[in-house]
Amino acid sequence: MAECEEEVLVQRVVKDITNALKRNPSIDEIGVIPCPEARYNRSPIVLVENKLGVESWCVKFLLPYVHNKLLLYRQRKHWLDREALVDITCTVLLLNPDFTTAWNVRKELVQSGVLNPEKDLYLGQLALTKFPKSPETWIHRRWVLQQVLGQSSAGDRRRRQQQRDEADAERSQQLSEHLARTLHQEMKVCSDAACRYPSNYNAWSHRIWVLQHMARGNIKVFYDELSSMRLWVSMHVSDHSGFHYRQFLLKELVSELSQSTASSTSSPQHRSSSVSSSSPVPFHNHANGELSGGEGGEDEEERQLSFITVLQLFHQEMELISDLIQSFPGHETLWSHRRHVFFLWHQWRTDQQLSNDGGDSTLLSDREAGLHKGGAQGCAAQVGEGVNGQCPSEAMEVEGASLPDPRDSKRLKRGVHLPAPPSLPSEYTFISSVLDSCCPSEQRRFALSYRKWLDTVIVQQP
Amino acid sequence: MGTQVKDVIIKPEAPNALLLDKHADYISAYGSKKDDYEYTLSEYLRMSGIYWGLTVMDLMAQLPRMNRQEIIDFIKACQHECGGVSASIGHDPHLLYTLSAVQILCLYDSVDAIDVDKVVEYIKGLQQEDGSFAGDKWGEIDTRFSFCAVATLALLGKMDTINVDKAVEFVLSCMNFDGGFGCRPGSESHAGQIYCCTGFLSLTGQLHQVNADLLGWWLCERQLPSGGLNGRPEKLPDVCYSWWVLASLKIIGRIHWIDKAKLRTFILACQDEETGGFADRPGDMVDPFHTLFGIAGLSLLGDEQIKPVNPVLCMPEDVLQRINLQPDLLS
Ligand SMILES: [Zn+2]
Repeated sequence: MAECEEEVLVQRVVKDITNALKRNPSIDEIGVIPCPEARYNRSPIVLVENKLGVESWCVKFLLPYVHNKLLLYRQRKHWLDREALVDITCTVLLLNPDFTTAWNVRKELVQSGVLNPEKDLYLGQLALTKFPKSPETWIHRRWVLQQVLGQSSAGDRRRRQQQRDEADAERSQQLSEHLARTLHQEMKVCSDAACRYPSNYNAWSHRIWVLQHMARGNIKVFYDELSSMRLWVSMHVSDHSGFHYRQFLLKELVSELSQSTASSTSSPQHRSSSVSSSSPVPFHNHANGELSGGEGGEDEEERQLSFITVLQLFHQEMELISDLIQSFPGHETLWSHRRHVFFLWHQWRTDQQLSNDGGDSTLLSDREAGLHKGGAQGCAAQVGEGVNGQCPSEAMEVEGASLPDPRDSKRLKRGVHLPAPPSLPSEYTFISSVLDSCCPSEQRRFALSYRKWLDTVIVQQP
Repeated sequence: MGTQVKDVIIKPEAPNALLLDKHADYISAYGSKKDDYEYTLSEYLRMSGIYWGLTVMDLMAQLPRMNRQEIIDFIKACQHECGGVSASIGHDPHLLYTLSAVQILCLYDSVDAIDVDKVVEYIKGLQQEDGSFAGDKWGEIDTRFSFCAVATLALLGKMDTINVDKAVEFVLSCMNFDGGFGCRPGSESHAGQIYCCTGFLSLTGQLHQVNADLLGWWLCERQLPSGGLNGRPEKLPDVCYSWWVLASLKIIGRIHWIDKAKLRTFILACQDEETGGFADRPGDMVDPFHTLFGIAGLSLLGDEQIKPVNPVLCMPEDVLQRINLQPDLLS
């Protein structure tokens, strides 16, 4: 093909891609259509339903062409106007999303106000449908999200300085709704990429980053994530990254709840630019009435409830893992998850005991004693050393990953069983039951290795 | 439901002898046959690609076959005003490619070809308040970049220009309950990140902060029945992860915990007898990246046809001796 003929064709294809995206904002996937030769007088850009396809014959010269054009611009050897830059980077990145410099050009376009951050997030989302791991796409997303967060916290600061009039309150509301939508959308992009590529490290570590930056301390969001992940992990029992995400959620929730046992006045929202929880979590809801049992008792009850919630979280998680290990034998991921959850439990319990020994007598043993007195079957609430492992693990009816009902605290006092937390003896019992059943050799290997881990990492520790 | 262990089966006819000549031919021919499309696709990491090719050639004592002057000129052209080096001409500078460039220049004993003071300033400027390092001016944080920063500075003998204590503090904040490390605090343990973090702690003299038994345990669990190593539970074995796990085990003094003979069999089976080079797994397409890590892995396993490799910097030991750099290893 002659030089200029090629140039005309490439420019037409770049325009076709841009126009297709402009005219069909609902395009949700991109791909290359195997097609070794050009068909006469037809654009190689094909739109089927919401899928945008590029015929393979044109990719081979389309990519080098736009790639080189962009690099010439970068070296100031060739001028491109802003619109052309937006179009060319779009084409380059849909074909080769790890081309860092092309994302950087778009960062500059976002900074100069030419490019809307949302539009840029959408381009990344499309690229991830074909390249779900692409590290540079995820890196760029984090940068764009930080711009979005920066804008809204700047808005927050302005509001705090000014008088809060009605329009301002409305704007604040819009902003937080906007952030909540962005957060929700980001979770969706992560889920989608996680489904397209198993144990997608970049997708899951991005998801963690998003929560750390956009929902820090927001128990409601963490809870919602934990319950929505329950089904996902059950259907992806080999996905170590998905389970690690659950471990992250659990750890954060336990630490938030433990903070609230230490100081119940802490607000669930620490950062002005984070997404605020639209409906407060039951145990933080002072207006609920259920928890307001008099001035002095309120804190105490709330702490008790947080404490019970932690027990319940661990109980539910262990039940889930036991269930999955038995239904899907021989998965290293599941046994690794068990280790992690047990370790978290072990650590939490040790921390509680430490702070207890440190003089804060209201934390573990008193609470335990109180609960024991109230409980019709005292063993269910044992959490300290000397756990005997004989507690019925179904001590409390638990449906799915449901939130604890604040009214439970009243019922607890009347002697409803507490959730049985994990314990060393119950772990050893579980291992024995696996080894006693006729299970595949892999399952045996993982069970034995878990036992060895308990023996060396947990038991031998001071 | 049955179990299917995610692993490969090594066929009896798979290569079991080291084909050094083929690999040298493969690498020296790689740069010359630049298919336009393939070349474009990978240009964003060209500098690292050159480092992979040159290092594996040097480990096989074949470095003179490469075009030294052309490569040094290329690196010079990739250093930017800010001091950082980019993957290729016209691309933006980044710590990843700055390290690759300095590694290449060390192989050629010509670090002074670029402005070293500016490189040091560039790296120093990327350290954040919490001790972490951004990969470039856009601010992405990752323990990989902490490694790139200290590895480059160690090669240049300028470690004292950054806040090492803070840098160590950040890397340690990425340690997980299993003894491993992730890309940021709270992220999953990953063999590649573990390699970067143990390498980082070696270069900063902080290996005593690692729980070597616990981490060694996790790393050994990466070995599959085929002998190959994976990077995380229930992933397929891969030559590059075999290197990262093996090098980490070497750094923390636990390399004898895995079955070396089986790993050697796996790595040898990843060679392509016809084209030369190593693939990620037996039967897949070869590339320079996996060829370096295949050869480097065999070197760590003690193959005497290959020069000894340093587990921290993935460079020939004789090069590091020349610049008098000996990163710590646990015993
Ligand atoms: Zn690999």
